[in-house]
Amino acid sequence: MRLYELSARDIASGVRGKKFSATEVFDECLSRAVACDGKLAALITTTVEAGRAAAGRIDGRVSRGEDPGPLAGVPVILKDNMCTHGIRTTAASRVLGDWAPPYSATVWELLSSAGAVLLGKANMDEFAMGNTTSTSAFGPTANPWDVSRVPGGSSGGSAAAVAAGYTPVALGSDTGGSIRQPASYCGIYGLKPTYGLVSRYGLIAYGSSLDQIGPFARTVGDAALAMQILARHDPRDSTSVPGKKIDFTCREGALKKKRVALVREFRGFTLDAPIADAMKRVTRLFEEAGAEVVEVSLPTVARYAVACYYAIAASEAHTNLARYDGVRYGRAAPGAAGLKEMYETVRSEGFGVEVKSRIIAGTCLTEPVRSEEYYVAATRVRTLIAEEFRRAFESADCILQPVTPSLPEKIGEMDEDATKGYESDLYTLPVNMAGLPGFTFWTGRAENFGEKTGLPVGLQLVGPRWSDGELLNVGFALEKILGAPKIASL
Amino acid sequence: MSDKLTFTPVIGIEIHIQLKTKSKIFCSCSADYTNDEPNSHICPVCMGLPGSMPVLNRAVVRQGMLAGMALNCKVQPTTLFFRKSYYYPDLPKNYQITQSDLPIAADGWLEIKDDAGKPKTIRINRLHLEEDVGKLHHSTSDGRLEGAETSWVDYNRSGLPLAEIVSEPDVSSSREAVEFVTMLRRRVRYSGASDVDLEKGMMRFDANVSVKCSDGRWGRRVEVKNMNSFRALEHAIEYEIKRQSEILAEGGEVLQETRHWNDAKGVTSGTRVKEFYRKFIVEPDLPPLVVSPEWVEEVRATLPEMPADKASRYVKEMGLTETDAAVLTDSLDVARYFEACVAAGANPVRAGNWVRTEVLRAVNEKHVDADALAVKPESLAELILRVEDGKLSTTLARQVFDAMLEGLSLEEAVKKSGAVEGGMGGSALGDLVRATLAANPDVVEEIRSGKDAKGKKVKFLQGLVMREAKGQARPDEVASAIEESLKPE
Repeated sequence: MRLYELSARDIASGVRGKKFSATEVFDECLSRAVACDGKLAALITTTVEAGRAAAGRIDGRVSRGEDPGPLAGVPVILKDNMCTHGIRTTAASRVLGDWAPPYSATVWELLSSAGAVLLGKANMDEFAMGNTTSTSAFGPTANPWDVSRVPGGSSGGSAAAVAAGYTPVALGSDTGGSIRQPASYCGIYGLKPTYGLVSRYGLIAYGSSLDQIGPFARTVGDAALAMQILARHDPRDSTSVPGKKIDFTCREGALKKKRVALVREFRGFTLDAPIADAMKRVTRLFEEAGAEVVEVSLPTVARYAVACYYAIAASEAHTNLARYDGVRYGRAAPGAAGLKEMYETVRSEGFGVEVKSRIIAGTCLTEPVRSEEYYVAATRVRTLIAEEFRRAFESADCILQPVTPSLPEKIGEMDEDATKGYESDLYTLPVNMAGLPGFTFWTGRAENFGEKTGLPVGLQLVGPRWSDGELLNVGFALEKILGAPKIASL
Repeated sequence: MSDKLTFTPVIGIEIHIQLKTKSKIFCSCSADYTNDEPNSHICPVCMGLPGSMPVLNRAVVRQGMLAGMALNCKVQPTTLFFRKSYYYPDLPKNYQITQSDLPIAADGWLEIKDDAGKPKTIRINRLHLEEDVGKLHHSTSDGRLEGAETSWVDYNRSGLPLAEIVSEPDVSSSREAVEFVTMLRRRVRYSGASDVDLEKGMMRFDANVSVKCSDGRWGRRVEVKNMNSFRALEHAIEYEIKRQSEILAEGGEVLQETRHWNDAKGVTSGTRVKEFYRKFIVEPDLPPLVVSPEWVEEVRATLPEMPADKASRYVKEMGLTETDAAVLTDSLDVARYFEACVAAGANPVRAGNWVRTEVLRAVNEKHVDADALAVKPESLAELILRVEDGKLSTTLARQVFDAMLEGLSLEEAVKKSGAVEGGMGGSALGDLVRATLAANPDVVEEIRSGKDAKGKKVKFLQGLVMREAKGQARPDEVASAIEESLKPE
């Protein structure tokens, strides 16, 4: 087995036990990344020097008999919307240029102080707006299982990198499915934690009340390991909730007597056959393992969640993106004749089409004459959605549902009909609206499905707030039955 | 025709006050940047860097509550912050975080006197918390953005805590406006919520002015911005009332607009910027602010007695005049000094006289608060008691006070002034009187011969003795000593 194929747990114990060095691991992962990235374009920035230096420091600590931490020498990748001190952070947008933040996101501080080593910053949809990783100013990322197809998005670079074996763990952010959908498309595990469990400080905001950072991994254990480090109250993020102690140890026997729900309203919706088959197969697995399969009803979610989601996300986004004006950092317009021309030049040249459309939508939806009808109405419906989920979880411990209705499309296909992308978000967006944890798990690869045969098929578990550890326990049990995904061969 | 019409002004005032805290409202940058280099008090949060997030400074909430209480507002148990969107280079995120319509304090009032001298209540709609913006510097002669070759932004002020106080349109004249903001400023300063130093820009005014014509026509509401002093507020309102009245008198229409007060020229001018809406969404990075009743009460307990209450107590319980009481209560440090002096045993009227003359003079000369003076109120009380007991004359006591201001103790100061303990009396005084009489035999002769029916000559001698005694002798003792010496032997 090559070092890049190891799980984060195995790398950390190998480095701590001096079986191999952090530098060896880094170099192997780096050459794997370099070998694949010509095809995948999963990384915007590869942090060769900084990463190797950090690996060297880990090795130094090990040789001095110190413990570098639970992620000793584990190479990781961050989505490029997480600030890294002194390392270019772009949010995949031209508007930020070569901006190198003067500070690091809390999640990166936590990972690096646990011994993790940065290998690179991952490609993404510009400002996390999209579900294909094709709106990036740096060009699209490809799906490692079929490089003609999208890896999903917006955290497609992180997902593709983990699936292809660049690193065992990467971080993504999920505003409306941006971790869970690419995890499903790339055939790995991805957790969108409960809103408020992981600090957003240093995450370049899209929809602040929806955004949440979470891990991608090829084993449930690695996702849990990352969460053990990331789930921590951060006084710099006022929406980070203090006093939450969640057990991420992956306990056995999670399926017995577990009440797993199917959503009544989702029944009639069309799914690609491999996804529908996976739903049936996993439902049966639950029953065989002693879980109780029940049904819950989410009418408001099914009917209104998507429209309300876009109203809220766009409204928050247009304020979050107002700061890119060329005055302080990022792209500037030195030749501009005046203030207005500077704003116009920086923003029309700096932002891509998808970002502009959402800024315009947010601007319109919050106009004083329309705000009550759209933005304010959407925030009220949001309360109803959260309440509907809360009631559903009185009779269920978690919900089993698809991540997307279909398997990944070809790169470029989704762009033609923007609303198709929006519809495909139905299984992911409501989870962010209610601030719930959602976990994507790999179930296998599509069989007998024409040109999509062999693509990975993922499903999603959704639980009540703070049930993140429990979702991973269920995922851990399913991993034992279904097996963990292999690294995509490229 | 126009001179038959009358115009009634309707004025609402918005006051921005910089709250007194060690750090900014959403980050830990120091709020005191006076004389520091531009952009030396900034961090990712107050620069609005991508990924940064605000954390509400609880000291700002406390100061906001205090200021609200000083203005008779009710503290609101649950409030919210919003993002108010507009583009300007001094606003790092291109939105301002503000409480706006869900303020920390609401429904207050202040009582002033109207132009006829009758009591009048000015209602206060709310006091809300928000962040300040940076400062722009333009390379134009008039400092305006228009036509500037180069502009610079200093973000040291960005994120300073502000309270915006919004009055109801209850003000009817520029004089009322000035009285209202003067009283408001005094009360806020009393509360300790702000230093409200106008020269340092800690208090800024906007006024919403409209006039109603006696023929029933209304002018539209005009918002006048950029007043940084009481005088500017007064003149801007007067200018605007006159401008609008003239337009209405000529049958014209007053446009609803925002006008800019030009202090140098003494005029308001249209901003030439189209009136644009400022959009609001809930600030998703800050959870609702919940203020517990316990916290409110804890803060309320620290709110000092307000100046008007103090003044009426001084009049009722201490026998001071209203004028003296007003002077003594103008600022809290002086009022506290006075009260400490009385508490230490000084007669209130005498103490009042001392504080509003000698103490205030020292405070103004030394540019310090009264509590920072070297003369502690207890020492002043002791000094006043000695004058009352006749141990020191008033003149000498002033010299002692001045010496104490330089750091001497009461005893040291008395010694330095040359005063003898207990003053000049007994044989020393007798000797001085005899010497004075001997030096003025003709005056003595005139008195003895009964030519001093009006007592003028005796007073003259008394004055000579007093001068020689350098303030150490008591006038009544001098008088009786002269009388004694003039008796035929």
